[in-house]
Amino acid sequence: MNVFFLSVGLILCILVLLVLYRVVFGPGVYNRIAAISAVGTKTLIILLIMGYLYDRVDMFIDISMVYAFLNFIGCVAAAKYLESEKWMP
Amino acid sequence: MIIFTVLSVIFIVGGLFFFTTATIGLLRFPDFYTRLHATGKGDTLAVFLSLIGIAIYEGITLTGLKILLIALFMFLAQPTATHAISRAGIRSGYKHWTRKDGTK
Amino acid sequence: MVFRKEDIIVSTIARILIPFIQLYALYVIMHGHYSPGGGFQGGVILGASMVLLLLTRGHDEAKYKIPENMVITLSSIGVLIYAGIGFLCILLLGNFLDYSKLAVLLHVDPAHARSLGILGVEIGVGFAVMAVMYSIFLDISTGGVLPEDEEPEEGTEA
Repeated sequence: MNVFFLSVGLILCILVLLVLYRVVFGPGVYNRIAAISAVGTKTLIILLIMGYLYDRVDMFIDISMVYAFLNFIGCVAAAKYLESEKWMP
Repeated sequence: MIIFTVLSVIFIVGGLFFFTTATIGLLRFPDFYTRLHATGKGDTLAVFLSLIGIAIYEGITLTGLKILLIALFMFLAQPTATHAISRAGIRSGYKHWTRKDGTK
Repeated sequence: MVFRKEDIIVSTIARILIPFIQLYALYVIMHGHYSPGGGFQGGVILGASMVLLLLTRGHDEAKYKIPENMVITLSSIGVLIYAGIGFLCILLLGNFLDYSKLAVLLHVDPAHARSLGILGVEIGVGFAVMAVMYSIFLDISTGGVLPEDEEPEEGTEA
């Protein structure tokens, strides 16, 4: 089972690197915020899988739940800030 | 029990498949609103399936119930964040992509 | 920031989720011994939940539920709890923050008193961090001037 979790974690890391292309080269600021939210969602699963690889799941669960909260609040705050007229790309 | 391990592997592989298609959609779609479709729907379903797979592998303990709570929170909160940012895009006048524009 | 007419979907979901976020923050503060957490992390999550209330409801309702005077008073109360426990240990003939001397007040053995003393200090830290985070966000988002205090200017701005 460890080999399976390790391969899933590696594939998720490669997916995060692919999404980072959209963070760097996205034309305008709106594409970057959508991509950052996607990176945060993938990081949540990577944290739980790392908990299984180190055999201490009950320590990594609290961290991943806090990261889910902060991802949501950050995306809503950025969207509220960008609602004015002067952020057209 | 071997049946729980096989079921959990099926759920996690399904979640990984939806993650892959959501990432390919985020890279290849021509406009901001279409990319929001890909990452808003695909990522939410993928996280839900992956967390249910991990909870089945863990069994009925306190840790498994906490993982199910994280899954419920992500199911409620991720579409709301997508809605908030698409509303910000419309309010500030971001133009849609039409077929006459050609490829971006 | 410009606070236009509020959004009904985000507002309803925030109204459902904010109590559970605060309950989880209290859990993180209380379980500082056994799992990652403690005073600072729990205070940050509590402050973030208040920031979510301010973002989705506008200034009027947030000012009605969390008045600014209460926030500034809470940060001072947090520091008072922290320094007060330390000073209480000095009054009982010990060093500063020497929790084992609290055993005479609580009628437990010294090891138990140390654990309870750390818990009390973490609660004080949680109060202070929560209040300061919300107060900083309030100052940055309004530019230091609340919308009711602005004078309508005529002519060009400075």
